[in-house]
This record gives sequence, structure tokens and C-alpha cells, in this order.
Amino acid sequence: MSKGFIVAAQNTDTVDYIKQAYVLALSIKNSQKDVSCISIMTNDSVPDTYRHVFDQIIPIPWLDDSKDKSWKVENRWKLYHVTPYDETIVLDTDMLLLEDISLWWRHCSNYELLFCNRVKNYKNELILEDTFYRNAFIKNNLPNPYFALHYFKKSDFAHEFYKVLEFVVFNWEWCWTKFAPDHYQNWLSMDLASAIAIEILGCHGQVLDSAGPLEFVHMKPALQNWLEKTTPWSEIVPFYVNSNGELIIGNMKQTKLVHYVEKNFLSESLIKTYEGLLV
Amino acid sequence: MTNGAVIFALNNHDIDYIKLAVYSAKRVNKFLDLPVTLITDKKDWFDKYYSDYKFDKIIEIQSDPYTKRNINDGAISSKLIDWKNTNRHKVFDLTPYDKTLVLDADYIVNSSILKTAFLVDQEFQIYKHSYDISGWRNSYEFTRINPYSVPFYWATCFVFEKSIFTQSFFHLVEYIKSNWEYFKILYNINSKNHLFRNDHAFSMAINVMNGKTEGEFATNLPGKMYFCRDTDILIDIDDTKMTFLLQKEKHLGEYFVSQTSNLDVHVMNKMSLSRVLDGGSNV
Repeated sequence: MSKGFIVAAQNTDTVDYIKQAYVLALSIKNSQKDVSCISIMTNDSVPDTYRHVFDQIIPIPWLDDSKDKSWKVENRWKLYHVTPYDETIVLDTDMLLLEDISLWWRHCSNYELLFCNRVKNYKNELILEDTFYRNAFIKNNLPNPYFALHYFKKSDFAHEFYKVLEFVVFNWEWCWTKFAPDHYQNWLSMDLASAIAIEILGCHGQVLDSAGPLEFVHMKPALQNWLEKTTPWSEIVPFYVNSNGELIIGNMKQTKLVHYVEKNFLSESLIKTYEGLLV
Repeated sequence: MTNGAVIFALNNHDIDYIKLAVYSAKRVNKFLDLPVTLITDKKDWFDKYYSDYKFDKIIEIQSDPYTKRNINDGAISSKLIDWKNTNRHKVFDLTPYDKTLVLDADYIVNSSILKTAFLVDQEFQIYKHSYDISGWRNSYEFTRINPYSVPFYWATCFVFEKSIFTQSFFHLVEYIKSNWEYFKILYNINSKNHLFRNDHAFSMAINVMNGKTEGEFATNLPGKMYFCRDTDILIDIDDTKMTFLLQKEKHLGEYFVSQTSNLDVHVMNKMSLSRVLDGGSNV
């Protein structure tokens, strides 16, 4: 059974998601013992200097549903259909994988589809309920999946789930009205779409495991238990990547997977550090 | 291996820490069955007023230059006093014991729970978790050294065994103290007037000893650190029962009565503790 990571990346006018995916791939190569393959789904040009870290560079199939959209998430349901692996972990591009997660692969292999439904902040404080960003989930009694970290195995069940997810993505306004009318979100989010797909299929127990190991450090400012809810976190706490590729935020070494969120987080020196680790 | 307790008592013009230390030492003898060494900068004061109590040893040190610090005596009274409590890192060299319980003079032992710390094969044990006995106040300042930074540890009460690791730790605390202005910035303490504080220096040093992780250099002392703030008032100690007037929420200057039984308590209002030891009731 082949295993690997996959990301969707579509550059916008302001954000170079291909570069983010490249640094994520470097961090994967630097930290993973067993599974370090990563593929990227994109229609953008991948610089020659980046190509060597990707297992496969896969064009977005069918039409580009994100064309003319500023936040390009409409194609992400296609990841299931393009992945070259039997078992896949989907990540967001603005993440860094800092420690080996072989244990996660072993745990996930017991499932056909498994979402992360638990995040913590950089202080290792578990976010029990995200009342800032996830009111639409809470007020509508929806499950709490994070599309930015999920696993699937090529299987009938995962295929069925992604078909439902495709339906929700294409009809998100209707679905929001039907399943998430309270605290209505007027934008498409893959997290809410996944929550509604889970709700439609009634498969909570099959795809969510609160006691499982899947979790990540989420750097959205309102999750950090600060008074400042919207100030970029990098303006508030000091951080650095040391010569081993370890990320230290606020004097605390970050573990496993970090979702750094801020688009200007990737400095040239940080990229050089990770490139240097692969030599 | 020798076991014992050490209490620092660095007197100032307002608080007789030696008096508090003598009382605290008697409790340690009674409940923990440990010999107690006093570390003080005023041995002559002890000899003159408290020599009927026999410490295991008395070690006289030069105190650091003092700083000024504002402390409360209840919710509506405060005073600027001399503060000399910055020598804690010297305990590694000063203690006569292989395994040492270090206590603040205002930490009142009412149980034998700390005995178990001497049965555990750990080189450094300290309180990380604490409980404000008022029950209503926000105690986040005792969870982390500030909202942006590392977990808070109490230098008020800890147990250490002499080893190369604990020696490194105390050297590190001394280094942090010597470079306090730098470490304040490094650990997001933004107040210019933030004075050196043992709790914060210990918390930073533990963070470094743990390799910036939640590592295993420091393990938790048994139980929790119970404390009342200097805005509360101790009014009575009767054997293992302590009675307090605790600051009321949203009613400045008003209190409610509360009692603890068989709980060790860190009494931050040293002035009220001193008055109770003198036989007063504070009411």
C-alpha cells in the first residue's frame, strides 16, 4: 500500500501557495522516517528549483472551479480523485511538519477516512471550543472537522464521502441554509463543507476520533488565549527556526504539525534553513 | 543521604521574616519530621529574639542590594517595602543536605503531604499547579509568566537533590538574574519596571532545562499549591485550621470568611501572618 501526503495549491495575487507547499515538502523530507512522499495538485507553474521535492505534480482535473475566485478552495474535493497513493494525508500548504508522525499513519490505517477534530495553540493549550472562528459549527450542532489535516484510504466509503463533499461544495449556499443557518457564513469553507458532508452521511463515529493522535498547532490569533484577537501572531511573540529545523515560538518548541496561517511567515532565511537540512 | 528543609529569612524594616521562619520551621519539624536550616542576613536578630528555637543550622549570608516593592495588607491597604528576596539560587551551595525542601517563610505547612516528595526518585520537584482559595479570582498570572509565554512555576516551595543537573539549573537562575533585562524581553515581559522575581526566573530556567519543551526536568510536587493573596487577611491559625478574610468580588474592602483544614497554604499577606503569630486576630 503506497502512502503519501497531498496538497492543493493555487497562487493568488497576494500569496505564493506553491512556495508554501515547497517549504512544507522540505519540512516533511526533513522530519519523516517512513512516509516522505508528497504530491501537489496545481495548475500553476512550479519552479524548477522546487520540483525535486514533489513526488508528482498533478494538474487540477476537470475545470478549474476556483477561476476568478479570490480564496481558491473550490477544487479541493478533487484531491481524493487525483491522489497517486492508496493512503493519503491531506494538508494545507501553510503548514510545517516538524516531527515524525509514523504513529499517525499506523493509527489512521484503522480507518477509511479520518479527520482531525482537535487543535491546540503554541502554548500546548487545547482549544476546547473555538467560539471565535467556529460559531457556525457550534450554534448548528455540527461536528468539528479540520480539512487541513485529514486522512483517507482509497475505498468505497471515502469515495462516497467525497462525492457528497463535491455536492456540498457546488451547492454550499443551499447547504449552509439547510444545515448551518445560525451564524451564517457567507463564504465557502472546506471545514464547514466537510462538517455538513459528515452530517448528511451520519458518519461521525467513522470519521472522527477525539482520542486519536491527529492534531495540530493552530496559529490563528484568537486561539492563543491572548487579549489580542486579530493582531498577527508574529507581531506579538518572538519565533525562530533553529539549525535543526525546529520551530520555537514564544520560547516553546513546537511539536508535530504547525499551521502557521500568516502568509508572510516564510522568510528567505527560513527557506534556506530548510533547504540546507536536505543537503 | 541526608534530608532537610531550608528557609530563607531576609528581614526588612516592615516584616520580621525570621519570626515567620521560626514558626514555619516548627511546622516542618512537626508534620514532615525534617531538620530545618535557616538562611538569614540577620543572625544577631535571631540570637536576640528567637534563640529558644533550635534550628539544625543557621547560615548567615550577605543580602543583595534591596529593591522597593509595593505589597498589600488586605484589599485597601498597601505599603512600599524593601525587597531582598533574590538569593534563592544560592541554596544549592548553601544547603547542608543532599535532598532539600526549600520553603518561603510564609508557607505554612499543615499536613505531611510534602513527606512523599522525599520518597520519590526525582531530582527537582516544584509546584506548577496552584489554587487560589478565594475561588473567584483569575489566576492566569500563576498559570504562565504572562499570556504569551512559558508555564509558571512557584519558587515558594520546591524539593531538589544535589546533582550536576540541579547545579546547572541554579547556575542558570543566577545567569538569568544577572541578565534580567535581556531575559525580560526574551520572555515577553514588557513592563520596564518589572522587578526580578524568583518565580519567573525559575520558570524561565525550567523552560531552558527542558529544551523549551514540556520536558521532565521539573516534576510536580505532590498535591497543589494553595495560596491566598496579599489582598486577603489571615485571622487565625488553630493547629491545622487556618481562617481567612478573603477579598470579595466586586466589593472593594469587603471580605468573606473562609477556613482551610489540613491544607498547606502560602500566605502572601505576610503582615497579617506576622500579626497572627503575635497573637492578634487582625479583626
